[in-house]
Amino acid sequence: MRTKLWARIGSGVAVAGVVGLGLVAIPAGAGAQPELPPVSAEELVASVGQTSPGPFGGTVEVDNALGLPAIPGAPAQLANGTSDVRIWSDGTGRGRVSLPSAQGERTLVSDGTTAWAYDSEDRTAVRKPVTAHEVQPADPTRSATDAIAQLRQTSTVSVDGTAEVAGRPAYELVLTPNPTERTLLREVRIAVDAEKRVPLRLTVLANGSPDPAFEVGFTDLTFGPQDPALFTFTPPPGTTVTDAPEGTGEKPQRPEGVQPTVVGDGWDTVVVARAPQGDRSQQRPEGAPDLSQLGTPVSGPWGSGRLISTAVASAIVTDDGRIAAGAVPEQVLTEALAR
Amino acid sequence: MTAVAETAVGPERTAAPLGRLLAAEVRWVFRRPRTLITLGLFALIPVLVAVGVVVADRNGPGLIGAVAGNGLVLPIAALTLALALLLPLATAMAAADALAGEAAHGTLRGLLLAPVSRVRLVGVKAFGVLVVAAAAVLVIAVVGVLAGMVVVGSADGQMVTLSGTTLGFGEGVARVGLVAVWVLGQLAAVGAVALAVSSLTEHPLVVLASVLGGLIAFGVLSAIPALDWLQPWLLTSGWTAATDALRDPVALDAMGSSTVRALCYAAIGLGITVWRMQRRDA
Repeated sequence: MRTKLWARIGSGVAVAGVVGLGLVAIPAGAGAQPELPPVSAEELVASVGQTSPGPFGGTVEVDNALGLPAIPGAPAQLANGTSDVRIWSDGTGRGRVSLPSAQGERTLVSDGTTAWAYDSEDRTAVRKPVTAHEVQPADPTRSATDAIAQLRQTSTVSVDGTAEVAGRPAYELVLTPNPTERTLLREVRIAVDAEKRVPLRLTVLANGSPDPAFEVGFTDLTFGPQDPALFTFTPPPGTTVTDAPEGTGEKPQRPEGVQPTVVGDGWDTVVVARAPQGDRSQQRPEGAPDLSQLGTPVSGPWGSGRLISTAVASAIVTDDGRIAAGAVPEQVLTEALAR
Repeated sequence: MTAVAETAVGPERTAAPLGRLLAAEVRWVFRRPRTLITLGLFALIPVLVAVGVVVADRNGPGLIGAVAGNGLVLPIAALTLALALLLPLATAMAAADALAGEAAHGTLRGLLLAPVSRVRLVGVKAFGVLVVAAAAVLVIAVVGVLAGMVVVGSADGQMVTLSGTTLGFGEGVARVGLVAVWVLGQLAAVGAVALAVSSLTEHPLVVLASVLGGLIAFGVLSAIPALDWLQPWLLTSGWTAATDALRDPVALDAMGSSTVRALCYAAIGLGITVWRMQRRDA
């Protein structure tokens, strides 16, 4: 009898193992929507504008389904897929961002006076003095706040239920373009933390697809004092330290300083800029993507060029060196170019 | 295990003390020359990597590139390298000898007839496999630290993390220990599955073939983009997580989830082994 019992226990353990594996493998679905006191969209937007999150640390997941064409020389994070970003801030401008990859890690540290960029693969550190209001990459807090401020005038803003992001209850703020806006985007959803009123997740949905084209949000977040050692950087032994080129505020590599012109406003804004002159004859600067082979050829009264389209935006690079880009269909771009 | 039958002769004794069983199994495992030769070869892995890194004049990408001038990374890189195929191979070898090998020699019959419960027999055999895996991991880690400090060298015995911070020698060794424990967890899963195969066959070669074939199949499956959804089910998909031990602050997510996955595989393997051994005729 004991033999039978143990055989049963053995098969039970094996089945439990399979079930456990399934629980690990199958991602937990969207949790139950937390119950939160109702809030008006205006109130929510106003509180987001005023909030300051204080010190925090967490992990941000960037889920990119933009469908950007593979650009030679561009960082891997631009391609479709998910990548993690670890981020810490002391709430007063000092911060650390690390971009882990399978091969190594890129680390950005700002200690308030100096900003460091460290690349573990070639062991180089680039140092530059901090200018006011540096934008940290992939910080959902800032990008979402900026998006709200820019899009409020031309959108319908509403609160659409609640969500749980990084284990925190949040309101879902939805910005839908006004019907007159000619854009590729369907809506932008921003999950706002119920307590701290900080944007926790930014989701961009394009027309014609139920899945987000782009999503950036915290998967793990703790508010509270962070280890001060995180906000200092000492180049480790064996590191090549270089200073960033001077005058970074003025975009040094742009000859003849042609300012980009902005056509339209709100969702169907088109930015028309002039590509750096002499690009074709000279060797392009290292790291700059080579755009000349991308996209499909298009032409019209405005000239001819190449159209690069993604899920949420399109761009036209004309043969005479102009670039028009925006979250709009091709026609809006060509109208902007024809001006 | 041969000692077991002799110790259990007294009529009042129904089972040998567990400690003595385990010690006997470990002696039995380490008396095999192939176990000792395998461990000796494992000691060579970090040394070869160290020499390769010192001889090469430029850093490649990835973990091996991070070893240059940074000796404490060597054991972690060597463990990651060996985890891909060599460590599972050694574990599968021990598991193949444990049940299928004994069956092939006809010695399993004696063990099954001995007054030792079948569950205890599986426990003792699993312990033997785990000891071999632990010994292999320990050899790579210890030789790796030594070769890292002596051959590769590092500034003041520090470890430079991928995040650009420096850790003291003690903390660096703690990171190596973390990776070693994590690798052992993965090997426990491989060993348990190998033991299950071992209990189902009488040919040790079948065990080796299924474990290596399984690893290669997992590798192929994870390389097919259309089978993305399969990734979380595969034991091997978390096997690059050791890199996370080199980040500062250390990122434990990937190592944690792959350890949970390994525990599930271990439960499946051990469960099948117990089930099979209960029903096996002597």
